[in-house]
Amino acid sequence: MALIGRVGGRWRLVGSVVLPVGADPAAVAALLVERAITVDPALGASLGLDRVPVGDLPRVEVASHPARRLVVVAGSERALAPLVAAASRSGWRTTAASAETADPLEMSTLLLDPTVDGILVGAGSPPAADERRALGELGALVAACAHRRSELPVVLAGGMGAELHAFGDMTDRLGRVLVAPAAHSGSTGHDLREVLTDLALPADDSRRALGAAALALADLLDRRIDIVEVGFDGGTRAAAWSASGSGTAGLDLAVVPAAGMAPPDPDDHVVDRLATWSTGTTDRHRLRDRMRELRIAPLADATGEGIALRMAAARAALSSLSTWTPEWSELPPADLVVATGGAWAVMPARSVALALVDVLRRAGAVQFALDHARILAPLGSIPDPGERRGILADLADDLLAPLGTVVTPGGLRHGHTVGALRLHGANGGGEHELRQGNLELVDLPPGETAVAEFEFHDMVRLGGRGRHFAIDVTGGLGGLLVDLRDVPLRLPDRADLRGEMLEAWQSTVLAGVES
Amino acid sequence: MTVAGSDVRLVPARPLVASPVDVVFRLTPGDRPLVAAGDSVVVGAPIAERLRDPVLEEAHVPADPEPQPGGRWSAPAGGRAAGLDGGELMFTWRNRWRVAGGTLTDPLETPFAGIVRDVRPGTSITVRAAGRGLHGIVALGGPTRGRLQGSPDSELRAGGLDVNAAGAILVVGSRVDAETLTRARAMGVRGVVVTGLSSKERRDYLASEARQRSALHRLPPFAVLVLDGAVRRPVAGAVQALLGALSGHEIALVTDPPMLIFDLPNLSVPAPPPDLVRVRGGTWSGREGRFVEAVGSRRFPGGAHLEAGLVQFPDGTTAAVPLGDLERYV
Repeated sequence: MALIGRVGGRWRLVGSVVLPVGADPAAVAALLVERAITVDPALGASLGLDRVPVGDLPRVEVASHPARRLVVVAGSERALAPLVAAASRSGWRTTAASAETADPLEMSTLLLDPTVDGILVGAGSPPAADERRALGELGALVAACAHRRSELPVVLAGGMGAELHAFGDMTDRLGRVLVAPAAHSGSTGHDLREVLTDLALPADDSRRALGAAALALADLLDRRIDIVEVGFDGGTRAAAWSASGSGTAGLDLAVVPAAGMAPPDPDDHVVDRLATWSTGTTDRHRLRDRMRELRIAPLADATGEGIALRMAAARAALSSLSTWTPEWSELPPADLVVATGGAWAVMPARSVALALVDVLRRAGAVQFALDHARILAPLGSIPDPGERRGILADLADDLLAPLGTVVTPGGLRHGHTVGALRLHGANGGGEHELRQGNLELVDLPPGETAVAEFEFHDMVRLGGRGRHFAIDVTGGLGGLLVDLRDVPLRLPDRADLRGEMLEAWQSTVLAGVES
Repeated sequence: MTVAGSDVRLVPARPLVASPVDVVFRLTPGDRPLVAAGDSVVVGAPIAERLRDPVLEEAHVPADPEPQPGGRWSAPAGGRAAGLDGGELMFTWRNRWRVAGGTLTDPLETPFAGIVRDVRPGTSITVRAAGRGLHGIVALGGPTRGRLQGSPDSELRAGGLDVNAAGAILVVGSRVDAETLTRARAMGVRGVVVTGLSSKERRDYLASEARQRSALHRLPPFAVLVLDGAVRRPVAGAVQALLGALSGHEIALVTDPPMLIFDLPNLSVPAPPPDLVRVRGGTWSGREGRFVEAVGSRRFPGGAHLEAGLVQFPDGTTAAVPLGDLERYV
């Protein structure tokens, strides 16, 4: 929860607090107001906090909701895969079956399950030979189940739209039956994903609001923005760009329930992902126990080893986010990556950028920031775009905690000194030797800018290909981090060596921070 | 700096007793509901017949009266599909209906009294229970009923079970293993209430449960209600007091939602002291104490800055505990 107020004619972040779900929101609001008044009575008075009852203060509220379950069915396994891919990154938890592998009784059981919240049935456009034979019966089966579960929304994608007649009279249905384009990967599948996202997320959903916030921020800063959210029940990637660069402003929003930090049922796949990033135990049963505990009480046991678990869980979630958004690697790199969500709430700020570059690796230079008060989503939910932009303009400096700049050259040759870095800043500079495989941390405080001059012995990728680069960098809590590790990151197969390596990298970025 | 005084409302609250309780009994295609919405059911009343091995067959269904998906089908006497008599109409394709049916059925009985709220053939039956419920984190097995016995501070081992426990629901304290659960089920115990069940024991028990379910001669319903999580932790004082008050009484365990249901209108559930908090994680995990005040953001091992509260434990010591580690029952 955060408190914002108008100070000196502009909106400012007055305070924020992170408390677990289950705490009384009225008590949390009272705590924030009391703190503001205690710390700066004059400010409290100027904002009227000493006069207005806490309950009467205007609020902007959003909430992240548990993902709902979508049954995805198709005539063939080949047709099923792109449908599952589209739904899984559009805010739905999916259960899938095709006519090739499930008989009509199994499929009916799946569709009539009381935990199902929606149905997606699809085919190619036009349907391929292997699915054409099954479409008629599949349409009749889905229509009969939809008749019995009239509250469920049904999406008929691609060639399945021709089976709309099987649904008969739909005037009494509570759930909508929508005809949508076929599922495709990349930008051609955007229309179906948009339909599915719209159905999946309620109007007050924080992940939906992050898209609007990303767009407003991109427009405001005139930069390419990536927002990466990792929460308890899912993850989000929102890429937004302003009109000036490419001619038209744009947004690509992916909401991936499988990228939650604490999935409801941690299967072997989830546990293996976690084990990959764990610096402690790799025992599957113990990790699963700890994941279940994390699910039950996300903010409990968040000290000591609990932080290491959260770091591993956040990286595992990012890895899942990356898996479900493969087309992201085709987008131009972002100028600014903003991390947000509950996963980062208890982590040292310096670790956040490292977690992001460990998993979402691309050669280039990127600035990182943290939405420390977690108000990007509430601000994104402001319905009027002008008002949203105005408030974001006032608050941008307060809400984004600069984490620093990470420079990741690609295509480095193994096993020797690869070059040198000379930093030219207002407070002097320095020269640093660059060794392949290392993380070089250069102190550059928040608010400072400098020019980083790189001289490599061999050709590398850093934007373009070359040996000599001069890059404008900005400081932050994590300073300037030169990441000379492989792109993508290669980790040892042996758990103990992997754990040691992850700990060493962690120690590098936390150097100087007491444990 | 102390802020917001001693506002215990900053500590996440967990309801001790839930009321009203709507329990969902899942059905699959072919299962036959025996009740309708609005019906009143007593303890042990059969509410559905569950098919053991449902099959889907084609059948010609007369157009009058107009058949609807979810309706039942009366097979003509002596016809080829007589075995599907009473089967569930699923969907029509090329002028023939697909009917889900089977021959072997198991009765589904409600372990508590209540009123049927909703019946959806092939999907679920929802019953509003007469009585109140104690929430768990997860329940494994099926709905069951028995006399509550045992003590939350006891340990239960497979060798410690005897036939006196047949028909009872046992409270077994902080943790239990799969061998004990399997043996308890085989000896006629109707259920187990436990604070924590580790993933390994859970997996082993579910595998045993699946094998039992596929057997021809099935054992009576058995359920495991996990109150807290996956790690060893003592039962919370408020829950312990409630379980103590219920000891010797008939209670029901249900799986959706995971809950212990008791119908004892005259049982007065003592309200926990408003400032009583329980530590569910971290250094003081499992201990209970009195919430003194919120003490603002503190730095904890590992470099985390967390909102903390001062807790006084029964031995007189006090500690600043992250608010995320605390919970209270209301």
